[in-house]
Amino acid sequence: MSSVKLGLAVAWPAFWTGVPIKIVLILLLLAMGVHPWEMPGLALLLLLSIPVDIWALGLSARTVFLDRLHLEPPESAGVTLWWQAALLSAVYLPIAYGIESGVVGVAKAVVGRMFEIEVLKNVPVPERISIELVLWGSVATVVLLGLALGWLFLFGQIVRKQVAAARPTAEPYEALVRRWDLLRVPADQPLLLTAFTATGVVLVFLFWAVMPVTTPHPHELYQKEPPKIESFKPAEALQRTEKLIAQAESAVKALEAKAKQGAKGKAPQAKGAKQPSAKVGAQEGGGRTR
Amino acid sequence: MSGQPSVLEKVFAFVDERIGLKTLQAKMLNEPVPGGSRWAYVFGSCLLFIFIMQAVTGILLMFYYVPSADHAYASTQYILHEVDYGWFILSYHFWGSSAMVVMVFAHMSQVFLWGAYKKPRELVWLIGLALFGLVMAFGFTGYLLPWDQRAYWATTVGVEIMDKTPVVGDFIARFLKGGPTPGQMTLSRFFVIHVMILPAALMGLAGLHLFLFRKAGPAGPFRGSADELRARTDYFFPRQVWKDVVAMGAVFVTICSLAFIEPVVLLEEATPDPGDYHPEPEWYFLFLFQMLRLKIFSGELGQFVAGVAIPNAFLLLLAALPFIDRSPERNIFKRPIALIGWLLVMTGILVFTVSAIINREFLD
Repeated sequence: MSSVKLGLAVAWPAFWTGVPIKIVLILLLLAMGVHPWEMPGLALLLLLSIPVDIWALGLSARTVFLDRLHLEPPESAGVTLWWQAALLSAVYLPIAYGIESGVVGVAKAVVGRMFEIEVLKNVPVPERISIELVLWGSVATVVLLGLALGWLFLFGQIVRKQVAAARPTAEPYEALVRRWDLLRVPADQPLLLTAFTATGVVLVFLFWAVMPVTTPHPHELYQKEPPKIESFKPAEALQRTEKLIAQAESAVKALEAKAKQGAKGKAPQAKGAKQPSAKVGAQEGGGRTR
Repeated sequence: MSGQPSVLEKVFAFVDERIGLKTLQAKMLNEPVPGGSRWAYVFGSCLLFIFIMQAVTGILLMFYYVPSADHAYASTQYILHEVDYGWFILSYHFWGSSAMVVMVFAHMSQVFLWGAYKKPRELVWLIGLALFGLVMAFGFTGYLLPWDQRAYWATTVGVEIMDKTPVVGDFIARFLKGGPTPGQMTLSRFFVIHVMILPAALMGLAGLHLFLFRKAGPAGPFRGSADELRARTDYFFPRQVWKDVVAMGAVFVTICSLAFIEPVVLLEEATPDPGDYHPEPEWYFLFLFQMLRLKIFSGELGQFVAGVAIPNAFLLLLAALPFIDRSPERNIFKRPIALIGWLLVMTGILVFTVSAIINREFLD
């Protein structure tokens, strides 16, 4: 097996094995308001990813050793592969990033100049955008693929060192398959289901506990009126009401007393007063009920 | 004491006696998967999961959403700003629709590359194509409901593209709009289609799709001798179930993360005046929109060719595929026309989608 194939056989499944766990970590960071692509979120994510990557690399490597190479996997395959791959990536990835950015920059500039030629000047904007994209995008894709193959080759060399140190296994193929299969799906299914469900429940509680209730991105034109909350104190309200009732009671008493006095004073005058006609009274009453 | 069945076992036995739970369980979980479980087979289960989540979040949104031109925008803003976790539920629903489109592309690509549309699975493929159409219709009708400028103009652009279809185009456009410009009738019709007609159609067709799939059985990998495949054949439970569950969990968490990274923020309320806004459809129709901008497709005929003829001819070709490609060979590396065709289509969609995004920046 070539170094590129060997590197791919370990790195590809290891990457996907770690992804679900890392997405959960990213989501929890986001829910807490920490951006995982900015410091300090990025540092925290990389730190938390270390054990995940060690486990994922170990799992993938052991599977490749047992299933494809029929070799006894080294005990510390995960840790060894992780630190060597981390060292390689720390050196290789910044260089690769620099090369890719440089190539994209040059390719875009060259393609841009191409369209300054008289013949191509009148190409409409939508056509020009797509042609430019295809031209510089093809160059960028080829370089990116080359860089990816370069990393896989170097990582394959690291795996190859582990392969050279491994001893052949005497177990039959079926037993080897069963061994790597059990790395993925444990024999105790109810235990797996319980652990999976329990982890899920804990994560769900954690997620809802840390997530903001209202939107962290309010609309700039959305007028949110601050709620007018008046605190209600029952004792004060009762006192206020009692005071109001007492005031009303005294007002009623005063009115009654005034009415009595009025009645006493008016009684002798009434004898000499002119009585209103029954017709007018009937008209007034009819008007009120209408 | 230990010999006595528990309450749960008694309940299970009671239900089993009446509806045959054990038989159902055996049928569901003990389906043989030729060549063993694979991550490539998780897309269909993920699609079902996303649809269920869309239904759940959609029902929650309907508790507050008012489908009227006067209140749709305000009620959506209310969901975003006032309802507890409303912003998250709405953002999840929004990203869930995009995830459904991505997943349907992934599922169809897997079936195409694995040659799983060939005899005896032609009907599974055809029903799958119809489901693809429903997923796109879900996205199209749901996009209008927030009733902001983006929603209004995406719908206007989409309906105008449909209008170019000969014979039925005018009728479809008038039926969907319910008037000369999008308004209350459009919103009502889109709402009914989105929450009643499409879910019912999708549930029916998805059930038929699953039934036909179980009837024909999984196609299995395209490489390996019959003996090798037999040796590696496994039941659906536990390995494939485990892979499906992990994939569903990853999809769920990814959608949640997207809801946090890019939550829904509405533009201005919909008006028939686009103002500074450059109308464009949802991202999964952008490639088509960009094609319509090309000079080669200018004019009535050009617009018809790019907007209607090419997409419909492509869909017809996909529908006819199992009947044209009758070779039993399923290995994609031995089907160069299929492989090159798939690569060209995917690259074309990618290039035109990215071009549309660059074009948007150019216009802004």
